[in-house]
Order: sequence, then C-alpha cells, then structure tokens
Amino acid sequence: MFRAMIDPTAGPTNRTRATVLANRKPDLRGSRVGLLANVKRNAEQFLDEVGVLLQQRGAVGVVRRKKLSITDPVPPDILSDLVSTCDVVVVGVGDCGSCSASAVADGLALEAAGIPAVVVCSDAFSVTADAMAALQGSPGYHYVVTPHPVAPLGPEELHQRAVAALPEIVATLTTGHPRVAE
Amino acid sequence: MTAAEATADQERLDYTRAAIEYAFDQGWTDGLPVVPVTRPMVEEFLMRTSRPADEVIAAVPHLNRECTVEQAAVNAALAGCRPEYFPVVLAAWESLGRERAVGGGGWQSTSGPAPLIIVNGLIRQELRINCTGGVLGPGFRANATIARAIGLVVRNVFGIRPHELEQATQGVPGRWTLCIGENEEESPWEPLATELGLPAGTDAVTATLLRTCEFVDNRNTRNPEELLADFADTISRTGAAIVPFSSAGLVLGVEHAQTLALGGFAKHDVQQWLYEHCVRSHEDLARAGKGLDGRTGPGIDEYGLHMLPSPEQVMIVVAGARNAAMSMVVRPFGFAGWSRSPAPVEGR
Repeated sequence: MFRAMIDPTAGPTNRTRATVLANRKPDLRGSRVGLLANVKRNAEQFLDEVGVLLQQRGAVGVVRRKKLSITDPVPPDILSDLVSTCDVVVVGVGDCGSCSASAVADGLALEAAGIPAVVVCSDAFSVTADAMAALQGSPGYHYVVTPHPVAPLGPEELHQRAVAALPEIVATLTTGHPRVAE
Repeated sequence: MTAAEATADQERLDYTRAAIEYAFDQGWTDGLPVVPVTRPMVEEFLMRTSRPADEVIAAVPHLNRECTVEQAAVNAALAGCRPEYFPVVLAAWESLGRERAVGGGGWQSTSGPAPLIIVNGLIRQELRINCTGGVLGPGFRANATIARAIGLVVRNVFGIRPHELEQATQGVPGRWTLCIGENEEESPWEPLATELGLPAGTDAVTATLLRTCEFVDNRNTRNPEELLADFADTISRTGAAIVPFSSAGLVLGVEHAQTLALGGFAKHDVQQWLYEHCVRSHEDLARAGKGLDGRTGPGIDEYGLHMLPSPEQVMIVVAGARNAAMSMVVRPFGFAGWSRSPAPVEGR
C-alpha cells in the first residue's frame, strides 16, 4: 500500500562513515592540552579550569583556541593548528541547541585527525548531541556531561564542575576511554 | 448516487484516510494531516518553475543536508500548497537563505524561531494571499500552506525535528504559519520590497526569522509621537534584550500607519524615532540582571543602552484590516540583524 506516495524525507548529502578514535596513551604526562572553546558564556572559563587541573595531572601546557560560530564546524586553520601543537584536546561547552551538536562534530573531526579529544556538553542537550553523533556516522559517541546550566555559574562553581568532570575527561582522553578500554 | 457508488466512494475515502495515517506513521508531518503526494503532483509543481529539479535551493552544511527544487516541491505539495504557490515558496527560500541563521543553527535554536514570509505585488491577489483582516491568523490556504511548506522541509529534508536536532525550549506560536501579504492598497508608504530595492510592482518575498509578535493596542491617540512612544515601550522591554541589544520590527495596522503618515512620518522617520527613543537606563538593565558591566560600544552611553542596533534594522510592513488601531511588534531572530533582502517571485 501507498507505494505511489512520494517520501518527502532526504538523508545526508554525503554518507559519513564511523570515525575511528585516535590512539590513546595510558596517561597525560607530558601532553600538551588544547582547549577548544565556543562563545557561550563560561565556556572558556570552564575549559581554563579543566586545563589547570590537567596540568596538575601531568600535562605540560595548554593551547587556547576559540571558535566564533556556535554552529559551524571548527575552522580548518584552528583544526590544523590544534593538530600540530597538541597531544589531546578538550572541546566545550555544548550548552545550546546547535553548539552542543557542533561540539560533537568537532570532537569527531579531531579524532579523525589523530588527536584524542573529549567533548563536554550540558545534560540538557544530550539528545541533540547524540543526534549529531548519529548524523556523523558515529552513533553512541562518548562525551562528558555536566549539569545544565553552565552560563550563570560563578568561578567557584565552575571550578567544582571541572573537578567533578575531571575523572571522566581524563579517562576519555586516555586508554581509560569507555570505547577504547578493553 | 446508487448504493454501489456510495460504497465505492466510501472505500476511496477510507483509503485516503489510511494514506494520511501512513504519513503520520512515517513521521512526515508537523502534527497536522498532510496531503498524500504522488509523482504526477510533483510534476505539476515543477512545471511552475524554470529551475532544474536538482538545483539546490537551501542547505544546512553543518548537518550535511541540502534541499533541491524537487524536494521543496514534494514538501509544498505535502503541506497543501496549490502548484501555483510554488514560485512563492522558492522565493521565500531564496530570501530566507540570505539570513545567516537559516544556513547555520537557526532551525535548531532553543528560541525555536518562526519564518516570517512577507509577500508584495499583484501575486497576492492572484494567489489570494491574505493581507487584510486576520492577516496573522488562520483561514487562508495560501498563507497557511506556503509557510507550512518551509516547515516541512526543515523537518523532512534537513531532518531537524523537535526533541532531536531541534531544541526549542518553548517554541513560538504559529511557527509554520506566518506568511502574510502586505496591505499595499491601504499602506501610506511604498511596499517593503520596493523600500528594500526592487522595482515598484515586483512580485517579491521578503523573509526573516522571528522570535515572536507582541500586540500594541492604541486607539487612544492620533498624535504620532504618542503612538510611537507606545511602540517604544513594548520594544524596549528588558526581556527581549540579548547581549546586549534586542531586535524589533513593526507589522503596522492600517490605522496606525496612516496616523504616522498623516503626522508627517515617512518609514525612515519612524525607524529613526524608534532607534532614538528605545533606550533603557543602566539602572533598568541592572535591575533585570542585564547590566552591561562596563561594556562600551555603539549604542551605549552614560545613561544607558539603545535597545535597537540601528534604525534600518527596524522592519516596517503594513498589514491587517482598517477597522481598529492595533499593530504588532515583531522580533527578528539573531544577534546579527536581518538581511533586508527581498527575492523576486519567478514570472509566470
């Protein structure tokens, strides 16, 4: 029945394959950490807190980069810059309708370029982050969730958020990654 | 009708109903029934344009999605458009395409913005696009289905569905219904598309995304500056201010437009007056938790903030009946302003 009815839907223009995650080391000792922030309020501050904590865990420096579009993928120059100067990258904070999806796309782009990455999204946007992962050919892509909202938090609250997220961030950037570890 | 004919008729209607249910089951609808679309129907739509069926008319690159003329036609038919509406749908996409947010994350936004599609020219009469009484409301097939055709492409072709990639916090009433004709016949000013640079009399569509409409009912004064002060109060409310500006346009009722014109105000005078007078003090902003924290820049002075980014960003269109003095403040979406880009409707 209804075989003469035209299907009004369309799929992606180009079929995308699952992204193979980058190889990971057992820990972050000696690693340079990239922090890829978007323009949402507190994104840079949160990532800075994470950067400080990661250096306490053995990382040797951070590279801060900021993405001005909340929707577009990371620009090629910033991507190549991060790939050439960093060993791992933290992406965030996915705290709006399109920037959460965009953050996931950026995490996958970094993995495809061989850089272990971790994406941080707020829990209000996990549905759209999951939808983007599926759209990118990587359903079930693992990202770290922090409670919504992030924007109105003060410095101490942001610090606590970073502390709370840190174990999972470290695991995701190392062989403790849920999809990498045996 | 014989009993046998009545039975056959009943069976055809049952089949139609089942087809509509099938479309619901496939997830193809916005919650209302859609029209089952067949290949010959699509051809009827495609015959209304000279553009190739496979031409891409809209895209959302970060989602790896594109919409062709043919996919737009399928969804216009699905929405209930008549084939002759299709050039207006295509012009709406062309105008919308110049809005930065449309090819970016606008359709996914937590604000859930609605396309506002404004039609100018004689095509309004030919297609019976309402531009007078109840212009923002229901009751007119062309208005209702042209706007819906946009929404069904967002859903079906771009794959942006509520609770998935679409993350509207509350959404906007009438999100896929805001297609209006300008009431050029009773407007004291030139049509919107003419103001924005197209030759007078051009059939054209001007579109942007809106966050909402807010009414201003003022049957109290015939003094243009008092009327403008009433608009300014609504435009300047702090709730609409976002880092730090707000956006605003006017869908003016005929009486208000004529009051302003009789008072000597051209459109650009209205824009300039509103830009100058839509101001909130630093105290007002701080009271709402929206203090500027020392931020400086255009529109910010010792007293406070000009709520509108610039005069020309105030869209002014005249629509509705000449039966009461009321208007709508409309709120274009986005931080960067709207593109002010009308698109001509392809000739017949």
